Amino acid sequence: MNINNVNPFNIVSPSPTNVNKLDSINPVETQKPSFEEYLKNSLEGVNSLQVESENQTTLLATGQVDNVHDVTIAGAKAKVSLDLTMAVRNKVVEAYKEVMRMQV
Amino acid sequence: MSIFGSLNINATALTAERARMDVISKNIANVNTTRTSSGTPYRRQVPLFKEIEGETFSSMLSKESGKLDGTGTNGGVKVSAVVEDKSPFKSVYNPGHPDADEEGFLMMPNIDSVTEMVDMISASRAYEANMTAINTSKSMAMKALEIGK
Repeated sequence: MNINNVNPFNIVSPSPTNVNKLDSINPVETQKPSFEEYLKNSLEGVNSLQVESENQTTLLATGQVDNVHDVTIAGAKAKVSLDLTMAVRNKVVEAYKEVMRMQV
Repeated sequence: MSIFGSLNINATALTAERARMDVISKNIANVNTTRTSSGTPYRRQVPLFKEIEGETFSSMLSKESGKLDGTGTNGGVKVSAVVEDKSPFKSVYNPGHPDADEEGFLMMPNIDSVTEMVDMISASRAYEANMTAINTSKSMAMKALEIGK
């Protein structure tokens, strides 16, 4: 699973050269993958590890595995990535609840 | 570099140690084999270990830039070949054996079972060492999840 770097925010410095060049900045902004895409890619990566772990378990059960450690390592990878997903998800839900509790 | 880089590398090491164990088992099993398909006694076999180097462009690039390839097994180990030990056969006086020569000497395989036992312990310990490395890198990843809890 590849965890891509989160790109730093582009700080648009108000130098005189690019104050009137908003059009030239916008295309750069739109090329970046959105948060939705990041989430989707990450979840796909986690899911593929789960599927791989399941396949390895099936191979072990049907006696087609040479290396038992490959099965357990696939399981460990699936567990670690799922735990990471759950940690992030719990943080997001927590933040959402915190916002919803805000007194208006 | 991904969090699973060290897991992948350790997995290659476990596979290599298991393959080494297979070769040792073969040597121990054939310690008394005086005739193989080629007519000679069994020759002791030795696995050759080799570092895995990436063939793809991205793995070469990550190697040159000093980074481990996170997704692949670049930097791991593999059994590149199983070669024969060229040391001479042991000659034993055993005139009753059907494979003995005219003077009654029998050529036995060049295997010392004590050496094989020591190799076996070494393979087992190396397997354990890599298993410890796997568990440590896994617990590091799990510890990282506790940040901010």
